[in-house]
Amino acid sequence: MKNKWIRIILSFGLVYAFSCEKDLLTRADYADYTFSSLDEKGGSWKPILLSGGSQISIPTPKDVTSDDYKNELAALKTAMANLNSDQKKAVAYWTNNPVLRWNEIALELAAKYNLIPQPNADGTYTLPDAANPSKYPQFPFAHPPYTSRALAYLSVAQFDGLISAWHYKYTYNRKAPSDVDNSIVPAYAKTSLPAYPADGAVVAAASRDILTAMFPLEKEYLAAKATEHMSSLTWAGVNVKSDIDAGSTIGVEVAKVAMARARTDGMSKAQTPKPISDSIKTAAFKRYGWQWDNLESPVRPVGLAPLFGKVKMWNVPNVEIVRPGPPPAPGSAEFNAASKELQDIAKKITPEQRKIANWWSDGLGTYTPPGHWNRYVKDLLIEYKLNPLRSARTFAYLNMAVMDAGISCWDTKYYYHYPRPIQTIPGFKTILGTPNFPAYTSGHSTFSAAAAEVVAYVFPNEAQKARDWADEAAESRILGGIHYRFDAEVGITQGKNVAKYSLNRAKLDGAE
Amino acid sequence: MKNHFQYILVLAVLLSQLGAIFAQTPSDDLMMKKREICLAASYETGSWDQYWEGTRLRENANIGTFSRDIIMPMFAYGITDKINLLAGVPYISTDATGGQLVGAKGLQDLGIAVKAELFNRQVGPGKVSFLTTAGFAFPASNYLSDYMPFSIGLKTREVTLRGILQYRFDNGIYARGAFAHLWRGQSKIERDYYYNNGSYYSEWMDVPNALNYHGAVGVWLFNNSLKLEANYVAVHCTSGDDIRIYNSPQPTNKMSFDQVGFFGQYYFKGIKAIQGLGVLAYYSEIIDGRNMGKFQSMGAGVTYQFKL
Repeated sequence: MKNKWIRIILSFGLVYAFSCEKDLLTRADYADYTFSSLDEKGGSWKPILLSGGSQISIPTPKDVTSDDYKNELAALKTAMANLNSDQKKAVAYWTNNPVLRWNEIALELAAKYNLIPQPNADGTYTLPDAANPSKYPQFPFAHPPYTSRALAYLSVAQFDGLISAWHYKYTYNRKAPSDVDNSIVPAYAKTSLPAYPADGAVVAAASRDILTAMFPLEKEYLAAKATEHMSSLTWAGVNVKSDIDAGSTIGVEVAKVAMARARTDGMSKAQTPKPISDSIKTAAFKRYGWQWDNLESPVRPVGLAPLFGKVKMWNVPNVEIVRPGPPPAPGSAEFNAASKELQDIAKKITPEQRKIANWWSDGLGTYTPPGHWNRYVKDLLIEYKLNPLRSARTFAYLNMAVMDAGISCWDTKYYYHYPRPIQTIPGFKTILGTPNFPAYTSGHSTFSAAAAEVVAYVFPNEAQKARDWADEAAESRILGGIHYRFDAEVGITQGKNVAKYSLNRAKLDGAE
Repeated sequence: MKNHFQYILVLAVLLSQLGAIFAQTPSDDLMMKKREICLAASYETGSWDQYWEGTRLRENANIGTFSRDIIMPMFAYGITDKINLLAGVPYISTDATGGQLVGAKGLQDLGIAVKAELFNRQVGPGKVSFLTTAGFAFPASNYLSDYMPFSIGLKTREVTLRGILQYRFDNGIYARGAFAHLWRGQSKIERDYYYNNGSYYSEWMDVPNALNYHGAVGVWLFNNSLKLEANYVAVHCTSGDDIRIYNSPQPTNKMSFDQVGFFGQYYFKGIKAIQGLGVLAYYSEIIDGRNMGKFQSMGAGVTYQFKL
């Protein structure tokens, strides 16, 4: 009797506890798909960094009737006939739009490296050192500006590389293996896209090289990913070896061009030494009579990337033209109203407000706000079935606009050096951690507004939703107690302004 | 003699998803008789100024000293002499002396458990008893688990199955051991991306299961009015990730600890005016851990027992 009781109760309990267990996705759940268009003229689009689709040269491909090609085709058929389960998994994983996978890998690395350095035992802080990346604190600290930049270079290299690929695809018009030999059944949806050079190999090589430069400790991981990806193109029956070799050449070369820009864009000077940081603070105090101070224990002597605002912008001629006017002075009526709003929210935050604050928090240990927008855009690219070239274009304009927004925001932050709510409101406590940089303007708001404008441009049907998201992301920082309303509102306007420059460029690149 | 005080502590372990945070004596050999009711309330305060980040003990000036207060109302009922029903829900508040993050407070998890005595027999100079408890706990409010270390619980459903073995000499000295398995479900969070040795695109986090070990030695004195006990409690997660350097903890972490404590309770026997009333007090200290604060806690409670 007693044993039966226990058994009944336990089995009921186990069923109860696990009845609603969710599968936890570790990546986007999508398979290969038929592209909504092929963009046959994509080879004539204007790239971002290259002069045109023909700047990088690749060999003229052998004809499909040549012995060399026949040997490659035979090797492909042999490989396809002998796939093991890991190889089949790789084919299913990479799909025919691997731009999405490489973006996802970049976001994962951002989350992995988005850890703020801890204080040393004596209360000082050591910064990550690009020259010695494995020494704690590891390089990089993938904070939002760093991540926005990594994503911008990744996406621009992918985009320019794929324009080049499209140029040669439609120059040489070499058929896909399954069009040469109809006994070959490719793993992915069939298209009439010419096979030479392999677009997948362009993306693999360019992504590997950009991400290796941005996350040097991941060199081996990224090399293994790229090798698997390139091999999977043959396993899937979509590319022979010479397709892949030519694609890889384009990827390697375009990454070199992108990294040449990255090395001189000013990022290496963004994290200043203390004397420069202090002079920036003093300048703001002289100008306005206020200054932001870090309130951590022990105090961080320098804010996050004080000179990120000086980094070379992609599409805005100079950062001053998008710098907003000054915020209201602490103690002014407008300031007092904003300050009171924060205290009122903190006193009685609703579950809905708390969720909004947390939903957009994207703080330490996550893929950051730029990553959050890339993730949403990735989902839209799948939903709208965009091809790799158009996907890369979307990410390129998204991430250029987002990085430019970050540069503009950081310029504003350190120009005005405006204190955070925890500094101006005595005893104020918050549900979100206050970041290590000045308040005005809100980074989340600026990043998000710029991102939403690009989404609205590429996906007009999603415009309202994207702008609502951006507004919610901006609001989230007020609800979290770390930004005043004017930080958020001005940040939204600023992000929209900055995005216009990228969109003006997009409208002229030949893709419309 | 009904030692209903014990139910507080049995419940505490069943309910505590922070891992037997209240547990001074998580289980014992004592049963309530049929139709007896015990009402109880306890207060506990605990704090730490060091925590284990993975296995490394450290400090963090932006937390300073972390504190947690718990008020725990409870109820126990004898369905039969051999089967008891227990229920309770703690109210928890947290705070820290350092940094600017606000503490959390609210009702944690409602726990319900059934305890059964399966064996109780005189063997040599004492009695051997074997009992088992089966418990469920589920969140009693919309608190946020993904706000550690301030979150008041793991906000997941939990099922516990425990076996308890005790030998009690006729002179009042006893030794007891217990073993439990804690099955935890998933915790809903307020974001749909997190990092757990890799990306997760979900609003749910897997909360690791855990094993719970318990050992105690003690004695009953003054005609079974006063009980004194020294105990050891361990909760070890069977999976989970470690807190990354200087990062926040999260519910997916492998949270484990080993704790020692003392426990005393007194039952007012033979005083007619306060018949059925009892008091208890305890102290505990975590001596080793992983992804946990190095808590020192003390608590006190009152119990009142009567028959329907």
